[in-house]
Amino acid sequence: MNVMMRDRNDIRRSCFSRVPALTLLSLLVLAGCGREQSALNVAGRDAAAISLLFWVMLVGAVLLWLMVNGAFLYVSRFAPGRFDERHGRRLLIGGGIVLPTVVLTALLVWGLSLLPDSRTPGDGLVVRVTGEQWWWRVEYWPEGATEPVVSANEIRLPVGERTEFRLLADKVIHSFWIPALGGKMDMFPGRETTFTLLPDKPGTYRGQCAEFCGASHAWMAFVAVAMEPEEFDAWLQAQAEDAAPPADDAARRGQAVFRDEGCGACHTVRGTDAVGQVGPDLTHIGSRLSLGAGRARVTLDDLATWVAHTDALKPEVRMPSYDLGEDELRDLAHYLKGLR
Amino acid sequence: MTEERTPDRREDQKEFAEEEASLLKITLGPLIWAAHFVVCYGLVAVTCAKGWDIGAVRIGLGGLSALALAGVLWVGWAAWRQWGVTTTGDRVNRLGSAEDRHHFLGHAAFLLSIISLIGVVFVSLPLVLIGGCQ
Amino acid sequence: MKTPPSGIPKPEGTYPPTEAMLAEPVPEDLAKAQTARLRKAWAAPPGWRYPSAVNNTEVGKWYCMTALSFMLMAGVMALIMRLQLAVPENDLVSADRFNQLFTMHGSAMMFLFAVPLFEAISILLLPGMLGARDMPFPRLSAYGYWSFLIGGIFVIGSTFFDAAPRAGWFMYPPLATEDEGPGSDIWLLGLSFIEIASIAAAVELIVGALKCRPPGMRVNIMPLYAWYVMVVGGMILFAFPPLIAGDFLFELERSFDWPFFDPTRGGDPMLWQHLFWIFGHPEVYIIFLPSIAIAAMVIPTVARRPIFGYSWIVLSAVGTGFLSFGLWVHHMFTTGLPSISLGFFSAASEAVVIPTGIQIFAFLATLMAGRVKMTLPMLWISGALAIFTMGGLTGVMLALAPFDFQVHDTYFIVAHLHYTLFGGMVFPVIAGVYYFFPFIQKKLLSERLGKWAFWLIFSGFNLTFLPMHLTGLWGMPRRVYTYPTDLGWDGLNMISTIGAFIIAAGFAIFVWDLIRPKGHQPQIPRNPWDAGTLEWTHDVPEETWGVRSIPHVTTRYPLWDQPQMQARMDAGRYYLPDAEEGKRETLVTSVIDAEPIQVQRVTGPTWITHLAALFTGGAFIFPTFHLYPPAIVSGALAICCIIWWLWTSTARPPEADSKDVGLGLRLPTYAAGPSSVGWWAMWITMLGDATAFSSVVFGFFFYWTASPDFPPDGAAHAAAGWVGLAAVAFALNWMMTVGARQLNRAGSVGAARLCLVLAPATAALGAASLIVSVWGLAPESHVYPAILWALTVWIAAHTGAGVIMQLYCLAGSLFGKMTPRYDADIWNVSLFWHFVTISALVTCAVMGLAPEAL
Repeated sequence: MNVMMRDRNDIRRSCFSRVPALTLLSLLVLAGCGREQSALNVAGRDAAAISLLFWVMLVGAVLLWLMVNGAFLYVSRFAPGRFDERHGRRLLIGGGIVLPTVVLTALLVWGLSLLPDSRTPGDGLVVRVTGEQWWWRVEYWPEGATEPVVSANEIRLPVGERTEFRLLADKVIHSFWIPALGGKMDMFPGRETTFTLLPDKPGTYRGQCAEFCGASHAWMAFVAVAMEPEEFDAWLQAQAEDAAPPADDAARRGQAVFRDEGCGACHTVRGTDAVGQVGPDLTHIGSRLSLGAGRARVTLDDLATWVAHTDALKPEVRMPSYDLGEDELRDLAHYLKGLR
Repeated sequence: MTEERTPDRREDQKEFAEEEASLLKITLGPLIWAAHFVVCYGLVAVTCAKGWDIGAVRIGLGGLSALALAGVLWVGWAAWRQWGVTTTGDRVNRLGSAEDRHHFLGHAAFLLSIISLIGVVFVSLPLVLIGGCQ
Repeated sequence: MKTPPSGIPKPEGTYPPTEAMLAEPVPEDLAKAQTARLRKAWAAPPGWRYPSAVNNTEVGKWYCMTALSFMLMAGVMALIMRLQLAVPENDLVSADRFNQLFTMHGSAMMFLFAVPLFEAISILLLPGMLGARDMPFPRLSAYGYWSFLIGGIFVIGSTFFDAAPRAGWFMYPPLATEDEGPGSDIWLLGLSFIEIASIAAAVELIVGALKCRPPGMRVNIMPLYAWYVMVVGGMILFAFPPLIAGDFLFELERSFDWPFFDPTRGGDPMLWQHLFWIFGHPEVYIIFLPSIAIAAMVIPTVARRPIFGYSWIVLSAVGTGFLSFGLWVHHMFTTGLPSISLGFFSAASEAVVIPTGIQIFAFLATLMAGRVKMTLPMLWISGALAIFTMGGLTGVMLALAPFDFQVHDTYFIVAHLHYTLFGGMVFPVIAGVYYFFPFIQKKLLSERLGKWAFWLIFSGFNLTFLPMHLTGLWGMPRRVYTYPTDLGWDGLNMISTIGAFIIAAGFAIFVWDLIRPKGHQPQIPRNPWDAGTLEWTHDVPEETWGVRSIPHVTTRYPLWDQPQMQARMDAGRYYLPDAEEGKRETLVTSVIDAEPIQVQRVTGPTWITHLAALFTGGAFIFPTFHLYPPAIVSGALAICCIIWWLWTSTARPPEADSKDVGLGLRLPTYAAGPSSVGWWAMWITMLGDATAFSSVVFGFFFYWTASPDFPPDGAAHAAAGWVGLAAVAFALNWMMTVGARQLNRAGSVGAARLCLVLAPATAALGAASLIVSVWGLAPESHVYPAILWALTVWIAAHTGAGVIMQLYCLAGSLFGKMTPRYDADIWNVSLFWHFVTISALVTCAVMGLAPEAL
C-alpha cells in the first residue's frame, strides 16, 4: 500500500503544491492537470456537442442571473418608489412569460435535436460491457465476429469510428461513463441498454461507474484508450491471442502460486487451465493500464499489494486477501505482469 | 359587499353550482396539458416497447396535439371573457365581492391556459424533432 | 336515489353583518365573562400534562423543533462526509459507514426535515392567517406529530447502531432489495410510517384552508399562503401514494420474496424508479412551494403594498403543481428510454421553469412598485433569490437530456440540488423564522446575530457548493466515499469542506439565537412589521385562544384595509366571542365564498393520540426485525385506540342543534355529508388512497409493457369464477352500505341496522373469494402471480378497514351515537366504500379479464 501511496504523492507534488492552495486562480491552473475524467476535456463527437451546449448555456445563465439579481438589488436598494404598477406589469409579462418562453424554446429545440446523436447506429465494432460489483466485464465483437475478444476493466476504441456499446449488469444497476467521449448510460440486470460513442482524439481517458452500486462504488473505474484504427486492430488481434507462457523462473513460480491458490477458479487466463468466470479475465493483464478496475496500476508493487490486501483497497470486494509470503507475492506479481 | 341574507346550509352546493364552470375552467387548461402529456408518453412508451409503427403514432399524436391546443385556446378565450378586464378595467379583483371572485377565477384560468398552451407546445416538440424509438 | 333532508336546522339570521351591528359596542361585563370562559376552554394543560396538548400552537412548535433537530443531525452527517472527502483516499470513515451517512443525510433532510417542516409551519401559522382558533382536527395533528417523532427517532437512530440504510435515499433495487441487514427495512417501514403521517397532515391542512377560513374570505382574497397550502396538500395526495405503493411492493419483496423488482423472475427494477420519481420530483416542489409561500407573505410587508399579481402567483402555484408531475423521468434520462420519451420529459422540465419564473418576477414587481424597507427577513429572502435563481438556471441546463447525460450522478447535480433547496427552502424558511418569530413566541430575534448567521451561511454555502459544479464537470461522481488524487478534484473538495464548516458556524449562531433565553426582552408590539394579514391580530402577551372573536373579512390585507377590525375583534364584536359550554369551537365556512355554515367542536388535550401513535409505530417497527406477532398485536391496539378516540370525541350528537355565534347569526352545531369537515377529510384521504391503488395497477400494466412475456405463456391465472363472485359480493356490499345510509336518514333504523349486519358479511365474502381465486398461485415464482396477490392483499386490507367502519356505524346506531338526525359516520363510511368498491371492481376486472385481453 505504501508503494502505491508514494506514486500518488509524486503525482500530487507535480500538480499541486503541498499545501492546498485555495484561490480560484490556482484552480484554473489546476485545470490543466490530471483531467482524464473531465467532461470539459473533450475528445469525442458527443462530448464536443454537449460541451458547446454547456458553454453557451453557461454564458446565458450568468447573464440571466446578473439581470435578475441586479434588478432585485436595484429596485430594493437604490430606487424604492420610483416605479408604478405599469412598470410592474411589463416586468411580469416580459420577464415572467415572454423572455423565458423565447429562451427556453430555442434551447429546447437545440437540446432535442442533439438527443438522437448518441443513439445513432455504430460503424461496426460492438463492445459488450457488463457491470459487476465492482469491475467491468468487456467483450469486443468486431463486425462479423462469431466469438468475442474478452477483456476486463479497460475500454479501447478506434478513433473516427462510432462504436456501439451493449450494456448489461450482473446484480445491481451501474452506469457506464467516459466523460471525455460523451454521456453516460445505465446498466441493468436483465435489460440491455445501448448507445454509441465516437472518439475524435487519440488519448488515454478515465471512465467511472456513475450509479451508486454498493460499498466500493468509489473504486469502480476503468481506463479508456482511443487509438488510431490500425493500432486498434493490431491491439485487438494481440488481445485475441492466448496468454504468453511464463518467460522466466520467477514467472513460472508465480504461475504455480496462481494455480495452487486456486486463482483459476475465478479468473480466466486463456491457454492455461484457469477458466474461472467469476472475476476479470487476466489473459493480458500485464498490458493493461490499470489494476482492480482503476484502483491501482499494473506495477509489480501494486500487483503484490492488491493480492495481499484486496479488502483494504476495495471494501467488500469478493476476492479475498491472500496471506502469502513476500517471495510468493513477488513471483505471482511477476507472473501476472508478464501476461502481456 | 353582497346583499344581506341568511346563509344556506347547502351553501357549498350552491356555490359549486354557481362557479362550477369557473372551477372547471381553472383546472381544464392544466388537465388538457396533463392528458396530452400522459397520452403522448404512454402511447410512445408502449409503441416503442412493442415495436408498433412509430411513424403512424407520431402523426396521430400530432393530431392530438392540435386538438389539445384548440382546447386550451378555447378555455383561454372563455376565461378571458370571464375575467372581463376590457369591460371592468379591474386587473386585480381584490375585493371580497361575488363579482371580484368571479372575475378572479376567470383571470387565474386565463393565465393557467397560457401556461398550458406553452406546455402543450413544448411537449409536442419532440414529436416533430425526434424521429423514432432510438 | 334522492337523499331525504336531514333534520339539522339551517343557519338563521343576518349575514353579512351590517356596519351598524359591527359598530355597536359589547357590554363590558359580558366581554369580561366571555374572555374568562374562552381563556379557560383554550388553556394549555398545566404541568406534567403539558405534552397532552393538541392545540396547533403547541403541536406546531414541537413539530418545528423536532424537524429542526433532525435537520441538525443530518447536517452533522454532512460534515462528517465533507471531512472524509476533504482529502483523497481518506480513511476517516469506512466505505460502509459513508454509504449509511449519505443515505441517511438525504432521507432525513427530505423525510424528516423538509416535508414535515412544511406541515409543522403550516399547522403553526395557517389558523392564525385564517383567523381560526385551531386546525379542524387537532388530535389528528397531534397523532401525526407523535408518529413523526417515533418514526423519525427510529429511522435516524439506526445510524448510531451502524444499522442504517445504505443504498441511497432513492433505494434502487436490486441493490436495496438484496441488501443484507435491516437497513432497507428500516428505511421502508420507518418512512412509510412518516409518509402516512404526512398525508394525514396534508388532509388536515387542505380541509383547514378550504373550510376554516373566516367569514367573508372568498377564494380571491385569501392569503397566498393558504393557496400554496392547498396546492401543496393536493400534491402530497398525488405524490406520496405512488411511493407508498412502491414501498408496499418493495416490502413484500423483502419480507416474502415476491419478485417485483427481480429481473430473474420477471420483475423489473425500473418500476421502482418510476414510482419513486413520480413521488420524488413533485416532492421537490412540495418542499419549494411552501417556502415560496413564506416569501409571498414577507414581501408585501417589506414592500409596504399588496402583492403584485395575486392571480399570477396563484397561477404559478397551481401551474407548478400540475407540471411538476410531468418531470419525473428527468431523474432517469440515462436509463436508456427511447429518445422521444426523454424528449417529452425534457420539454415538460423546461415548461415548469415558466411558472416558477413568474413567481419570482411577481415578487420583483411587488418590490418595484412598493417602497421597500429592508429588514432582516428580507435579507434572507434576497439571499434566497440569489441562490435559487442559480439553482433554477442550472436546472434549465439539466432539463436538456444531452447535458444531463454528462453530469447526471455527478457533483454538478449535488451542487444544483443544494442551490435549489437552500435557495428554495432553507433561506426562505429562515426568513420565515425571523419574520414569524414575534408571532410564534411574542419575542424578537437578534438583528445582529441574524446578520452574522446570514453572512456565514451565505458565504459558506457558496464556498461549498459553487466549486462543486466544476468538480462534477471534471468528472467526480456522487456517492463515492473517496477518490484518487490525480484527477484534479483535491483542491475543489478541500474548499467545499471548509465551506461546509462555515455553514455549520452560521447555523450554530442561528440556533443559539432561537433557543437563548429571552425573558428579559421588553414586550414587543403586536404587529412589529406592520403587516396586513390576520395572524398579526393575535394578542401580546399570548392568549391561547388565537383570536378573541373571528372577524368578517372583506379584503386581502384586512389590517391595512379594515382599520376598525382589530379593535372590534378584541372587543368580541365578531363571531364566536364566547365559549358558553366551556368547549373549544371554531367556525366552518363554505369552500368558495367562506359563508359561515356551522360551528365545529374541536377536540382538546388527550393522551389517546400518544397511545395510538405508539402502537401504530409498533405495527411498523416490529416487522423491521421480523417480529410479526408483536406487530399484529400492536396494529390491533392502534386500531382500538383510534376507534376509542373517534367514538368519544367525533360526530357526537350535540346538546343543542344550533347556537348563537354573535352578530345575529345562529349556526347548526352538527353536520353530516358534504357540509361536514369529516366528510371532506375522508374524500381527500380516499383520493390519495385511490392514487396509491392506481400505482399498483400501473405496475401491472408496466410489466405488460416492459416485458414481452407478461403474463408468461402457460401461467396459471386467477380463478375466474371466484373473481366474478368477488365482484358481485363487493357490489352488493356497496348497495347495502349506501342503503343503510339512506334508510337510516329516512328513519327506518331497523332496516338500516340489518343492512349494516349484512354489508360486512358480503364485504368479507368478496375479500375471501378474491383470496380463494389466487390461492393456488405461487407469488414467489414469478412477478405475474405476485402482482395478482399484491392486488388481493391491497383489497383485503381495505375490506378489513371498511368492515370495522361498518361495525362502528352499527354500534353507533345501537348505542345512540348515530341516529337518523346525527348520521355523519355512515356518510363518511359510505364515501370510503365508494372508493374501495371501485378499487375492488377494477381489481376484479384486471384479474379476471387480463388473461384474455393481454
